[in-house]
Amino acid sequence: MPASAESSQAAGTSDGAGGPPHARAHFQQQLKELEANALGGLDLIIEQLDRVLEALEHQDVELAEMVIADDDRVDGRYLEVHQGILSLLALQAPVAGDLRLVAALLHMIKHIERMGDQCVNIAKLIPLSGHEPPVRREMLDALAKMGAFARSEVIQAKAAFAGREVGLAEDLVRQDREINRLNREIFRLAIEIGEDPDTREWAMHMILVARALERIGDNAVDIGEQVAFVVTGLFREFSDSSRPPAV
Amino acid sequence: MSSHGAFADGSQVGQLARFAVSPARKRKDRIARASILAGTTIALIPLGLIVYYLLHKGLGSWSESFFTTDPTGNTFFGGSNIGGIKSAILGTIEIVALASAIAIPVGIGVAVWLVEYGRNSWFAHTVRFFVDVLTGVPSIVFGLFVYIVLVVGTGSSYAGYKGSIALSLLMLPVVIRSAEVILLLVPAALRESALALGAPRWRVIFNIVLPTALPGMVTGVLLAIARAAGETAPLLFTAAYTHETNFNLGAFMNSLPVQIYNDVTSPTTAVVNRAWGAALTLVTLILLLNLIARLIARRSRLA
Amino acid sequence: MTPDGSTPQVADVDPESRSELARQQQSSADPSPETTSGRITGAAGRSAPMSGNTAAAPANGDAGVAAKPGLGVTLEQLRAFYGDSEQVKGIDLEFRANEVTAIIGPSGCGKSTMVRCINRMHEEIPGARAAGRVLLDKLDIYDPAVDVVAVRRAIGMVFQKPNPFPTMSIYDNVAAGLRLSSGRRGDLHAKVEAALRSAGLWDEVAERLTEPGAGLSGGQQQRLCIARSLAVDPEVILMDEPCSALDPIATLRIEELIDQLKARVTIVIVTHNMQQAARVADRTAFMLDGKLVEAGPTQEIFTNPTDPRTEEYVTGKFG
Repeated sequence: MPASAESSQAAGTSDGAGGPPHARAHFQQQLKELEANALGGLDLIIEQLDRVLEALEHQDVELAEMVIADDDRVDGRYLEVHQGILSLLALQAPVAGDLRLVAALLHMIKHIERMGDQCVNIAKLIPLSGHEPPVRREMLDALAKMGAFARSEVIQAKAAFAGREVGLAEDLVRQDREINRLNREIFRLAIEIGEDPDTREWAMHMILVARALERIGDNAVDIGEQVAFVVTGLFREFSDSSRPPAV
Repeated sequence: MSSHGAFADGSQVGQLARFAVSPARKRKDRIARASILAGTTIALIPLGLIVYYLLHKGLGSWSESFFTTDPTGNTFFGGSNIGGIKSAILGTIEIVALASAIAIPVGIGVAVWLVEYGRNSWFAHTVRFFVDVLTGVPSIVFGLFVYIVLVVGTGSSYAGYKGSIALSLLMLPVVIRSAEVILLLVPAALRESALALGAPRWRVIFNIVLPTALPGMVTGVLLAIARAAGETAPLLFTAAYTHETNFNLGAFMNSLPVQIYNDVTSPTTAVVNRAWGAALTLVTLILLLNLIARLIARRSRLA
Repeated sequence: MTPDGSTPQVADVDPESRSELARQQQSSADPSPETTSGRITGAAGRSAPMSGNTAAAPANGDAGVAAKPGLGVTLEQLRAFYGDSEQVKGIDLEFRANEVTAIIGPSGCGKSTMVRCINRMHEEIPGARAAGRVLLDKLDIYDPAVDVVAVRRAIGMVFQKPNPFPTMSIYDNVAAGLRLSSGRRGDLHAKVEAALRSAGLWDEVAERLTEPGAGLSGGQQQRLCIARSLAVDPEVILMDEPCSALDPIATLRIEELIDQLKARVTIVIVTHNMQQAARVADRTAFMLDGKLVEAGPTQEIFTNPTDPRTEEYVTGKFG
């Protein structure tokens, strides 16, 4: 259940709750439902992420296939929200804060769809290593940690959006730095993995998994930027990705 | 559509029963209609009788000489040479024309002031009050007033113009009232848009308000004239009576109402008939004025 | 393009122009702002002659009147009263020259009253008065030396309900403003045609100029009223909900017209239709309870307003 979407938009209103119904109550209701729908997409992502991380841990090919199949749900949610946005724009002509919210929802649902695709990418990589891949524990642990961070970023992004909390959104950058650090760590581990061709093949796949997890983190940060846009009306990148990474 | 009208199955039961007109209502409706018709007929009877009598008694006197010769004052010898009513007709026209020339500009001026400048001030309310009072003043009082002030007061004699003054006093409240009503009907939006164009107020009144109000005001004015033309009492002590046609408003002047007044009590039948003829003429004149007023009103965009 | 777009110096306009009260002659070819304010305080009713240039043509082909630098209007602590009741409570607002400014706000917020103070129509209501300053460029139009008739010729008005003069033909309606003045009229026919062209009405009525003005459709009547205002060559046109009584297509045509007209006049439009304000206005001002809450570029007011009350109003949470 999203927190009140109007808390930062209706500060100082004289026509408060409990009085006569707001003009455009129907529209406000539709807007709330649209937001709930979109945020629900993030719940789907968390589900997918949990399952794909478990599949990765236990090399569970069937679970991976379930994740791939269930991406339809994420795509379906995307289409639903997209249609809702078009309908709202055409019929209700939102302006000001409402307009920014609708624009933000459009961005958010796109990021959600991408996150879903990244989960599918990870799931597709699992069966490629065969049923008994030569795993290296350190890499799997690092990947598990990355997965945990990604999961936590998604949850935090959802909370930030629902609560319109810019501080919480900006904090996502901190976690994302951790993911980036772990990504570089995994890359280093892969380079030093040794001569065995099967192991090297497995390690290459794990690099791709790490990359997908890193992309999920980036998408979460992008959602955080949308939170700031809705609240302040200004669009601003939280971190400059063209900066050279700190070692 | 079935022959039963709105109720396709011929019955009036079920949900649609409430749409049917009850017999009791129908009866009441018929009674009401009949009573109103009866009342109207009763009211029309005297009107019909007047018209009938006028035509019956007066039409016979109408002839070419009736309209082209003056009354001779010669009522003896069985009315063989009594003359017509030319001086009366012309006199009425002259006196009423002068009265109108006085009453109309003044009346419209007062109305313009009331509507455009005085509006709701206490002074305007006072003026309106007195105008209303004047509409109720009996016409003989106007005649007496002019008599005392202009005839007895100045020690001079009767004159046509004094009759005009009395009639103009009579016309004034009527003109003011009807002009005011019409001017009030001119939409405020019209004045506003003229002012917003940068027109001085007096231009707005003369070029926009008055032309728009004109047809309605003409109606009011014609009705005032029609009323004045028929008044007898004011003329009795002011313009008095004479036989010859003259165009000197400073002298005695004949008029239709006074002519009738004098002729009706005459023992000579022909003279009395002449009175009827004059009455018919007067009524016809007033009727014509009313018709013209109506035609103009129909073309007006306001009233 | 017209000669100079120079803004007048303060010294040009104040005491000197007031002394023009005694001046009889006007320079005949210069429509610059100094002459305009001189026109207001001096020879009341002399219309500035038309410049011979033709500017970018309005939609119906031939040129109307030349684009020219208009004048801005500034309100300083404007207050308006009906008797003792204060409807407009101290407004500071600027209407920039050659721009369209929209005034939005809920019913009864005083926007119509405020606008009527700009061309001094407010004082025509018995018991009404205004306080504060209204500057046409640099001239305070409420100054006692200023002729209110000349103010209204420089600042025209179009009303909510189209109201062509019913006793007049189309031609006479447009010429009315010129005929009602006591000054030089110039070439009447040319001015009428130019005004009708500028209002986008010429093509539709050229064949029937002698027909009564009231015989046109609602949208045409309103454009006729706009032409009537344009004929006296104002610097500013005030529009009080000009499209409220019109159908959507007529409304859109008038909005197009407003967009074209701003090349030669400054436009202030009161509207309760926010979509219209968003479409038409360069700047928007939001009024509430007789006070100005916020004013700024229309884009900002409708995407990211500063004041929460503005946010609530434009998103429809009240009003």
